[in-house]
Order: sequence, then C-alpha cells, then structure tokens
Amino acid sequence: MYKKILAAINEYLNSEIAAKYALNLAKICGSKLYLCFIAEKGLSGEGFNRAEDAIKRLFLQADTLGVEAEIITERGDPVRKIGELVRHENIDIVFAATRREDIERRFYAGTVARSLSLNLPCSVVLVRVVHIGKIHPKKILVPLKARVNHVKERTYFTAKIAEAFGSEVFVFHTPKPISKFFHGEIHLSPLEWEKHLPPDISHFMEHMKRYKVMHGGRIIPGKTGRTITVEAFTKRHDLIIMGASQRSLLSSILKGNPVEEVLRETPCDLIIFRPRHEDT
Amino acid sequence: MKIHSLLPEDVLKQLIVSEQGLTEKEAEKRLAEFGPNEIKEVKKKPLIIKFIKQFTHFLAILLWIATFFCFLSEYLHPGEGMLTLGLAIVAVIFINAIFTFIQEYKAEKALDALKKILPFYVRVLRNGKERNLHARDIVPGDIIFLSEGDKVPADARLIETSGLMVNNASLTGESEPIPRVPDKFDGELIESPNVAFAGTTVVSGSGKAVVFATGMQTEFGRIAHLTGAVESGLSPLQIEIIKVTRVIAVIATVMGVLFFAVGYSIGRTFWENFIFAIGIIVANVPEGLLPTVTLSLAIGSQRMAKRKALIKTLTSVEALGSVTVICTDKTGTLTQNRMTVRKIWFDNRIVDVRDFKKGNASELFKIACLCNNARFIDGQYRGDPTEVALLRAAMEFSGEIKAERLFEIPFDSERKRMTTVNMVDGKRIAFTKGAMEGLLPLCSHMLIGGKVLQMDDYLQKKVLEAYHSMMDMGLRVLAFAYKEIEETQNSELKTQNLENNMVFVGLIGLEDPPRPEVPEAIKKCHEAGIKVIMITGDGSSTAEAIAREIGLVKGAPVIVEGHEFTKMDDRKLRDVLNKKEVIFARMTPKHKMRVVSMLKEDGERVAVTGDGVNDAPALKKADIGIAMGITGTDVAKEASDMILLDDNFATIVNAIEEGRAVYENIRKFISYIFSSNIPEIIPYLAYVIFRIPLPLTIIQILAVDLGTDMLPALTLGAEKPTEELMWQPPRNPKERLLNLKLLSRAYLFLGPIEAAAGLFGFFYVLKSGGWQWGEMLPANNILYMQATTACLTAIIVTQIANVFACRSYRESVFSIGLFSNRLIFAGIAVELMLQFFIVYHPVGNRIFSTSPIPITVWLVLIPFAFILFFSEEFRKLIVRRF
Repeated sequence: MYKKILAAINEYLNSEIAAKYALNLAKICGSKLYLCFIAEKGLSGEGFNRAEDAIKRLFLQADTLGVEAEIITERGDPVRKIGELVRHENIDIVFAATRREDIERRFYAGTVARSLSLNLPCSVVLVRVVHIGKIHPKKILVPLKARVNHVKERTYFTAKIAEAFGSEVFVFHTPKPISKFFHGEIHLSPLEWEKHLPPDISHFMEHMKRYKVMHGGRIIPGKTGRTITVEAFTKRHDLIIMGASQRSLLSSILKGNPVEEVLRETPCDLIIFRPRHEDT
Repeated sequence: MKIHSLLPEDVLKQLIVSEQGLTEKEAEKRLAEFGPNEIKEVKKKPLIIKFIKQFTHFLAILLWIATFFCFLSEYLHPGEGMLTLGLAIVAVIFINAIFTFIQEYKAEKALDALKKILPFYVRVLRNGKERNLHARDIVPGDIIFLSEGDKVPADARLIETSGLMVNNASLTGESEPIPRVPDKFDGELIESPNVAFAGTTVVSGSGKAVVFATGMQTEFGRIAHLTGAVESGLSPLQIEIIKVTRVIAVIATVMGVLFFAVGYSIGRTFWENFIFAIGIIVANVPEGLLPTVTLSLAIGSQRMAKRKALIKTLTSVEALGSVTVICTDKTGTLTQNRMTVRKIWFDNRIVDVRDFKKGNASELFKIACLCNNARFIDGQYRGDPTEVALLRAAMEFSGEIKAERLFEIPFDSERKRMTTVNMVDGKRIAFTKGAMEGLLPLCSHMLIGGKVLQMDDYLQKKVLEAYHSMMDMGLRVLAFAYKEIEETQNSELKTQNLENNMVFVGLIGLEDPPRPEVPEAIKKCHEAGIKVIMITGDGSSTAEAIAREIGLVKGAPVIVEGHEFTKMDDRKLRDVLNKKEVIFARMTPKHKMRVVSMLKEDGERVAVTGDGVNDAPALKKADIGIAMGITGTDVAKEASDMILLDDNFATIVNAIEEGRAVYENIRKFISYIFSSNIPEIIPYLAYVIFRIPLPLTIIQILAVDLGTDMLPALTLGAEKPTEELMWQPPRNPKERLLNLKLLSRAYLFLGPIEAAAGLFGFFYVLKSGGWQWGEMLPANNILYMQATTACLTAIIVTQIANVFACRSYRESVFSIGLFSNRLIFAGIAVELMLQFFIVYHPVGNRIFSTSPIPITVWLVLIPFAFILFFSEEFRKLIVRRF
C-alpha cells in the first residue's frame, strides 16, 4: 500500500523522532523513504544546520536498515512545497511532527500540521512526540470511534507499525454511557459491553487477524478524550494511534474534541492518522 | 527497546546530546517543544461551571419556567401575590443548588502535595559547564548530576554512578534504599536499576544521568495525571437523588398540566388555572429534601469523626454504607505494624519465644543486635519495626551488646540482606542478616551446639525444613550468619570479600500481630455481605496465616502473587476477583489501581486503603478512597475521601455501619417529608374540583417544606445505627431510594390522614365562622385566613406524630424506645415554636397570610395526630405479622 513514504524534517528534535516512525514503516513495507527538509523563510543558519544534521543521521540509519532513502532539501513554504512533491513523486503517505505550539492553538487552526493533514492528496500521519525514552513502542493503544472509515488502510497502517517495532496492539473504544431518564446511567459489565461492539470495530479486529500482530480489545464507557489518556497512563502504553478529528469547528466547540484532548494530555507519543486510500 | 535497555555509551547518541551536554540554544528549542518540567493540573470543569450546572438540571429548569410565568402573571395581573411566589421559587432553586454544590464540593489539593515532592534547583551540564538551573527548565537530553540528599527532577537514564542509592518510596511505596547502576537492563522500565525517577531521593553516593522524560511524561507525572484525571463518578446517593428529583419533576408537571386542563374545562380563567398549576408543582416538589439530606450527611460525618474516621466529601458518608468490597493493606491496618519475635531456630530446634531461656542462642542474638540500625534511646526503641523487634528480643535475652561498627553494607530490597563489620573482643567479625534464599548460599559452615560444622546437604535440608515450617506459621523469617575476618583482609572491606564462606547461626521468626479489634470487624463484614480483599507486599504464607488468624479466610483462598498478577489478562483476573476468598500477596501499590478498576467495572462499590504517593490514583478511582492518618503521605490524604485517624481496619467497618445508618435515616425522613406533600396537594384539588376557597396558600406550603418540617426531619437523620443494619447484605444497586413501598406509605397512607386533618381544620373554622358552601372569600378575610391557618396547623400537628411513625418501617416505636432519640423532642419543640410564630406573631401573620386561631382549634386537631400514630402502629403490626 505504501510504496513511497515522505518524512518532513525541520530544525526541531521531534521531527527527527517522528521521521524514525516513517523509517521503520518504510523498512517493514519495503518502501522508498523521502527525507524532506523545506527551509522556511527566515530560518537561521544554525536552524538550517540542525535540520541538515538530522537528515544526515536519518539517512545513515536508513542505510543501516537497508531502506532506500532520498534527501530533498528546498526553501519555501513547507505546505506548498510538500504538496508539490507529493503530487510529483506520487507519495503514498507523509509523516510530519506536530509542534507544541500547534496544540496550544484551539482545534489546530492555522497550523502547518493541519494544513498538511487537510490539503495533501495522500494519507497523512501527524506525530506528537512527547517521550523520547520509548524508542521502540511495545504497547500501542488504538482508540477507535464507532464509525470507522478506510478500515483496511487503518488496519494495514496499525499492523505494519506494530510489526515494525514488534509491538502489541490494544484496540480501545469509549462509547457514551447508556442512560435512561428515570434510571440514570445504566451500568454494564465489560462482557455486556462487548455485545455492544460497533460493527466497524469488529471489522477492524477481523482485519487485524490477517497480520502477525498480537492484539486485544477493550471497551470502557466514558468521556472519550479523558478515558483514552487515563487508559494510556494506567496501562503504560508507549504509543497511541488514533484517527484525525472529523468534527467541525462548531461541533468541537459544542461537544469538545477528543483528538485535541488526547494531544494535550498524551503520556506517550501520539500518531494522528488520516487515511486516504479507498477500501477496495 | 527503551532507553534503559541501551548501553550507557549509546544513550547520548539516542537522545542526540554530546558529552558536553546540550547547548543553550538546543535546550531552548527542546523546552519549546517538550514544555517545562512541571506537574500540571489536569483540565477540569471550573468550579463556577459546576455551580452553574446546579441551576440547569431538569427540576431547576422546570422551576425557572414556573418563576418566569409567576413574574409574567405579576406583570399582567399585579397584586395577586405572584411576585412573592416567584421570588420564593427562585429561593428554592438557590437553596437546592447551594446544598447540592456543598455535597459535591471537594478541594482538590492532591496535586499541590505532589508538586512539593519535586526539587526546585538541579545541577545540569550545558555547553560543557555545570550550572544550577530551576528544575522546570530541565529538558529531555539534559545531563544532570545527582548526589546525596538531591531530589531527582525528571526521569533520567544513569550513565555514571558511584555507590548511588535512591529511595523510590514516592513511586513504589518501598522505603528501603535501592542501588542504582548504569548497566543496561532488559526488564520493564519501572523496574530498571539504571533509571533515576522524578520525585525520588538520592540517599547516598552520586551519579550522572541523561534526562529522557520531563513533566507529565515522567512516572511521577503519570501518578499526578491519574490522581487528577481519574474520577470515581457519582456516589450512589447522588444518583438516587437525581432519580428522585426526576420522578418528582415528572409527577409535578403531569399533575400541574392535568389539573390545568381540568380547571379550564370547568370554566375557570387561564390565570386562575395557572396559579393552581404552579401551586400543584410547588406542593409536589419537596423543597426541603436537599438541605435536609446535606445536613444529615454532615451529622453523619461528625459521628464518623468521633469514631476516628474523618470524612472529606459529604457524599462519601452514604457511599460508605453501600460498599460491597474493601481492598485493604495488611501492615498497620489489619495488623499493629509492631513486629514481635515469635519463634527462634537454633541448634537444630524451633523454640517458642515464651519458652526461651535467657542466655541461650547468644551468637544469634549478638548478630540480631549488632547487625541492626534500630536504637534504644531514652527508654524507647526507634527504627524500622523489624529491627526494633530484633533489638528488643536481643536486649531481653542477651542483655545489651556493644561493639564498635567498622563498616556496613546497608539493606536493600534487591539483595534482601544487610551486613555490618564490628570489632568484638579484638576480632573483626562480619554479621549478616537477611532473607533465607540469599543468605544460605553464602554459608559454608553452620554453628550447632557451639561447634562450627561444615555445611552439607543434610544440614542445608534441616535449615530449609525449619524455614518452611516457620513460614507456614505465618512468620516473617530472617536468617543470621557471621564470619571472622582475617587480618590479611584488613585493607579490603568489600561486599564480595565479606559475604562468603559464612557460618550459618539460625533463624528468627517474627510476626506483626493483628489488631485486637480486627477479627470482630472482619466478622461484621462477613455478616454484612462485604467482601474483604487483602493486598499486601508480604509473601503468600505470611499473608494467608494472618488472614486465617483474623478470620478473613476460612476455606482455601485464591492467592495471587505480584508476578502472577502482572501476567494475568483481564478475563482471568476477573475470574479471580469473583472468588469468595482472595488474597493478593507480594503486590506493590501500582497494582491496586487495576484491582479497583476491575471491581468497579463489574459493578462493585469499592473502598480501598492506601498510604503512599502512588496509592493516590487508586484512592481517587475507588468509590471510597481511605488514607491512613498516621502513616499516610499528604498526597494519599489529599486524594482520599476518608482519613482513618487510627489507621485501623475496624474503623472502616464502623464507618460503613454509620454510612448504612445514614441511608436508612435518609429514607426515614424522605417518608416524613413526602407524607406532607399530600395534605399540600389535596387542598388544591378540593379548591379546583369543589370550588371552595383555597385551603392552603403556596407560601404556607413553603412554610412547611422549608420551615417546620426541616428540624424534625433532621432529627430523623440522627437516628443511631441498629444492630440489624450490619446483618443485611449491601444494598442492591437496583434498589431505589424512592421505591413503591416508600411512596405508597407516604402518599396513600400517612399523607391522606394528614390531608383529612387539614381539610377538617379548614372547614371546622369556616363553618364555625358561618361560612356557607360555595361562598368564595377574599384573601384578606380574617375567617379565611384563620381557616388556612387551621389547615396549616393540622399538617404541623399530624407531622409531629408522623416524625415518630417514620422512625421505623416495621418495628413499633415502643420497641425501639420512644425516648431513644431525644433530639426528636428538640426538633418538635422548634417546630412548634415556629408554628406559634406563624400563627400568633404579627410578623408571622404578615408573611404567611395567617391569623391567630383559638385553642379549641388545636384541641380538635390533636386527635388526628393520635389517629395517624396508632394507625401506623397497627400497620407495622400487620407488616410484622405477615
């Protein structure tokens, strides 16, 4: 599915760490890796050197792992340039790191990460790096909402990342608690909740069986964002992979935005994945 | 692969930092990306929003709508008293909101306590220079220096150490110092000896480490996040109150709308019907319920405080009563945390300490005394409880032994032993005490009958037999050995030179005796259908023996040890938790959270005890988190719902008993409060159906609900727990607070008697004043005001009898003792004083539109009180019989 993977690098350490996820995915998928640095206008010489050093280190690691890699260094607007590259090279998936300042803006508005995620014609992976001590994630938490699109690509991506690191996958669903007007919240045991597993999640689990990845599932009702972070903290997960938010600005203001909540409070690195490959 | 499984030389490469440390520029960039190294508050709903929510729930919205119409009515038809009514309803909304908020309010100070554990300044290597930086400026990749007394600022991978020992108590609850080394480690990160964790303390030695996680991403941050983010959810009472208010709101609305329609169909005007509908709603809403519940919980919490259980949130008072499982620590809670020597094994025999003769086993006690850091100062033993027990026994059986200490290898939980080198009679002797499995392999000889024999298979077997037999008695067994150090070894007093070829001397079995009140408390729990799960760091034999001694287990319990627990999947663990008798042994506090979560997922109502920093998430997660008042850390106390002032398990059971009593009492006063709804509603129905003057005004209804009823209801909340309460199983979560039994008793039995009294009083006064059927009287007519006053007085008089009736559902008041709750008489006295004020004081008359009534009216109403009381006694008799 992913023949060509592009990793966007900049002068920040987290972009280098985000690129390592791309590198490991490229290795397991046998893909070509494009290490791409677009120097923005006004970038200092020191910043430029730092990014170049990072690219060199990544290139050497790619070489060591036997991954075909190409370095692209250009100047200009990262969103536009990466867009052109994706179209020109037929890139299948792009990895970019989110910045801390991005998450401090509500709903990611106006950030490079959001622009890439919305505008690129390929699948996009935004990586939020918060813990550089967990080099190879062993436990991956995959929160899924009830309706999941691009099931095949999501499963493929998750399974390949897990295969790349030899990780175990924990699918996690947080439905709204069931409540009735006169009875309030109805308590269901985990076994009872399993009967309420949405069909899309069952599909996802079915697809996971095709890959040689250990995986399990768990349903805990509650407030989505908070329940995910509590689960990740409690079970010491090393990586969270979740879908990009599809809520509108208005809906986010009214109902909250779980992706944004997890971005702010994640205890481990977080991958926000926006798939573009259609299920066939 | 994680940072701890790398070689020290690869760590810097991985974290992209040179041996000179980060440059200031790079550190700045990393600070911008990873954020400051600090514990942050978890984003929660602000208090003001929580308060505002009290004004927007279903019942409140209903009352707001009523208020709006009252004000509209006042605007369109001034002078009909709708302004007063509107303001009264607003007051009701505010009173309910304030009292609900008081119940739910809890100051969140656990994170403040956590923040205090982190250091302010740290020594950091930047640009090749050592600098003193504020701990919040530390970033991943920073190289930090650690030395004795330092607090570790962030999670850091050690790359150089020199005798570094840290105290990880804040993370693991284990207070023994543990060694730290830079070597790679392939196990779990949390168990890695090459990592210094944020919030831990350097006890001795020094080291150099590279930071790999800061702020909320550290293990310490994990505890902080869970402590802040985990919520136990609404308490059973809060859930029930929500249900009650919804039921009442629907009943009130349906009745209001229905009678509005009926009134309209019989030709009354819109505004007449509207006032009537509002009256019906107000009469149905038990305005005094929430204040009474809150005050009753406050009384309950005070009673618990007297029994050494300090309640932090009011709703916890009742939540305690609904507990189905208690997860309890052993040491200090079930036991006295006062180790005592029980058995001694030497010269190949086990001797009970009570049969022990002074002067025997002097070598054994010499080691127990000299290889010991406890002290006897000013007539008191001070130190670790185990060491104190050994020193006490040594001083008792061998007298005071003094010898200069030359060297010490401290105890640590990895090696599970300690060694000292002392100068005894001019000889240098190494004394070692510790766990059997570690010490026996170090011994090449054994001391028997004063002779040193070569250790062989037979002797080893004998030692092991003795060891197992003492373990089976539930004792904590320590082994003792010594070694004379030859002069040639003078120069090198090192571990490897000292702890080999030792002479095995004997074993000492210690016991931490159970608290004397605990067996009775456990028995009470069993009778009350409460499951008790012991979670202890001790081994399974010790845990089981204590559990048997206190009556916690009787059959064959399921015993799960920490290492098995971590490997168990949720399904298997759930099966274990469903067993009747469960003990978790060799556990650490971090496991508690999982146990609590799984029990809660299965619908149990869980109380859990804890004292350490890392107990905080489990304390928050549980329905009732119980912190130890004596040994507990500030963090545990702040995260808990209840603090045990005496650390005693029996206090938990006492508090549960009080909690159950509070729930029962709430039921009693709900019966009481709801009974008076019927005499408030029936006059309205009579008014609309029979076209009579309104027998009771809305403001008079409020006088009952928020005035005269309040104190007697509260005194029902002060009823003491009965013995039977702890003979019943925990309340079924499906059992409603407002069930059919309670409603039918209040609405169909007690209420109608009161309504009959009210209407009788009303018509008695009207008829005595010459009123004719069908005659409508103006609101300011004296006769009419006297009649409504009589109706109000009738309700008060019958409610006095009702307060006695509601003291029990089944038992006769005479059998529980008419005078056993003296507060009731005080409540009635206040109720009567209020009523006298309303009836006879000009201010009371003005506010409540009343007028003084003659004594004869009182006299004709009093028989109704007796009718109610004895009818209820008769009903109870029938209930008891059938």
